[in-house]
Amino acid sequence: MITFKNVHKTFPGKTAVYALRGIDLSIAAGEIFGVMGPSGAGKSTLIRCINMLERPDSGEIWVDGVLMNSLNPKDLREARKKTGMIFQHFNLLHSRTVYENIAFPLQLSRQPGAKILARVNDLAELVGLTDKLHNYPGQLSGGQMQRVGIARALASEPKLLLCDEATSALDPDTTTSVLRLLKTINEVLKLTIVLITHQMDVIQGICDRAAVMENGVLHEVGPVIDIFTRSTSRASQRMLGSFLNYPIDQLPRLEDPDHVLLRLTFIGAEAHQPIISQLIRTCQVDVNILYGRLDHMKNTPFGMLLVQLKGSREQVAEATRFLEKNQVEVEVIDR
Amino acid sequence: MIGSGVIAMLWNATLETLRMVTASTVLATLLGLPLGILLTTTAPRHVLEQPVLHRLCSGVVNTLRSVPFIILMVAIIPLTRLVVGTSIGTVAAIVPLTMAATPFFARLVDGALKEVDAGVIEAAESVGASPLQIVYKVLIPEALPALVLAVTLTAVNLVGYSAMAGSIGGGGLGDLAIRYGYQRFRGDIMLATVVILVILVQGTQMMGDTIARRLYHRK
Repeated sequence: MITFKNVHKTFPGKTAVYALRGIDLSIAAGEIFGVMGPSGAGKSTLIRCINMLERPDSGEIWVDGVLMNSLNPKDLREARKKTGMIFQHFNLLHSRTVYENIAFPLQLSRQPGAKILARVNDLAELVGLTDKLHNYPGQLSGGQMQRVGIARALASEPKLLLCDEATSALDPDTTTSVLRLLKTINEVLKLTIVLITHQMDVIQGICDRAAVMENGVLHEVGPVIDIFTRSTSRASQRMLGSFLNYPIDQLPRLEDPDHVLLRLTFIGAEAHQPIISQLIRTCQVDVNILYGRLDHMKNTPFGMLLVQLKGSREQVAEATRFLEKNQVEVEVIDR
Repeated sequence: MIGSGVIAMLWNATLETLRMVTASTVLATLLGLPLGILLTTTAPRHVLEQPVLHRLCSGVVNTLRSVPFIILMVAIIPLTRLVVGTSIGTVAAIVPLTMAATPFFARLVDGALKEVDAGVIEAAESVGASPLQIVYKVLIPEALPALVLAVTLTAVNLVGYSAMAGSIGGGGLGDLAIRYGYQRFRGDIMLATVVILVILVQGTQMMGDTIARRLYHRK
């Protein structure tokens, strides 16, 4: 659906900013792809290059078989109609009602009034705003405004939706409901969604795959579950630090040379299995749980435990084998 | 004392002033709006970026605005004669009034359009709006309350300018105040013209404020 080939972008100035330094990326049709990174990483430039709100200095950006940076203004406008975009600050027209905002893209392409009416009503129903159609954006809450933004972005039936920090200005509850809406849209309309965010839980909540970006470079691209559990790059560790962080030095532990400190990661159905009690019974070891969490990565359950095992070397080795046999990832932190 | 003759004179002068102000406000709006749109949209990083045209428009506006009205009025007498056939009277005054108000209004339009959130323009671009569609469907509607206030401010300024135009034979309340109030020491007529001018300005401003408020849909 989207392919970046060696894309560079620099913002000239007193201190030139290298926003994109050779981006290579491909995003498949129908997936929800997230780009996470700290502010100033270049995420916003990256997503804005997809619909040419920002023009790259070099490289190629292909969207649905079209080389975007070769289009003339007229063809670019047509291509943009197939790419919806929503924004952090919603960017609604304050002089227009909700209805008129959603109808805006359809009016631009001079659709007949009856068709606009039907389409706007459908979209209002999809985003849950049928009772607000004749209100002005100034009378809506942030979450409602973003729903209008989503409906407007979907008006001309795009194949792709770009979300530029779409939930960053919303409170946690509203964020959850907007994300649920995006997930529904992705499933029902088979829409490809690209989103950028600095909020880990957004990536965790709805993305299939993600990339970690820092200083204009993509450090890691892959399934969200892998990035969250098996990431190796420093950049992802830094991003995830606050998310998966456990205060390892402050945890109470048994000061005993026989103990081994392990990090156990459960992915998928294993996260629901009573694996620890099976471990104790099967391997005859003592288990001291220091820290644990259970979460979901989109629809995949994911769990993490920090445990101390007490037992002989052989018992510990056997316990490790038992765990790995049950699809639990074991990482020895210290002995 | 103010007799019926004086009242008739005041009434006629008021009508003349209204005619001058209304005509030149309408003309300045019609001419200044496109000029103001050009100023905003040809600026760097805007939808019709045209550096040369931008500098040209900006230069013309600044030059016209730096000429004091009283001098502009005299300086363009040949142009006024060419357009209306005479340089004296109410109709003749409309030419310099429009000439002075157009660049002023264009600057106000420029300011109002620049206030339109860049994000909203971007959102329109992202759904495939052309530069002209952005002007007609985004910039003007979004800035409409500010544009109404700009017209109001221009009209109020023109009330003042029209009084000045009176001093070189433009007619209207200014003319009356100079000829009777000042040159014939009729303090009462002078006062009456001032009161009428105050009422005109107040009325114009109130009307503008009301319309702008009706058009304003933000919180």
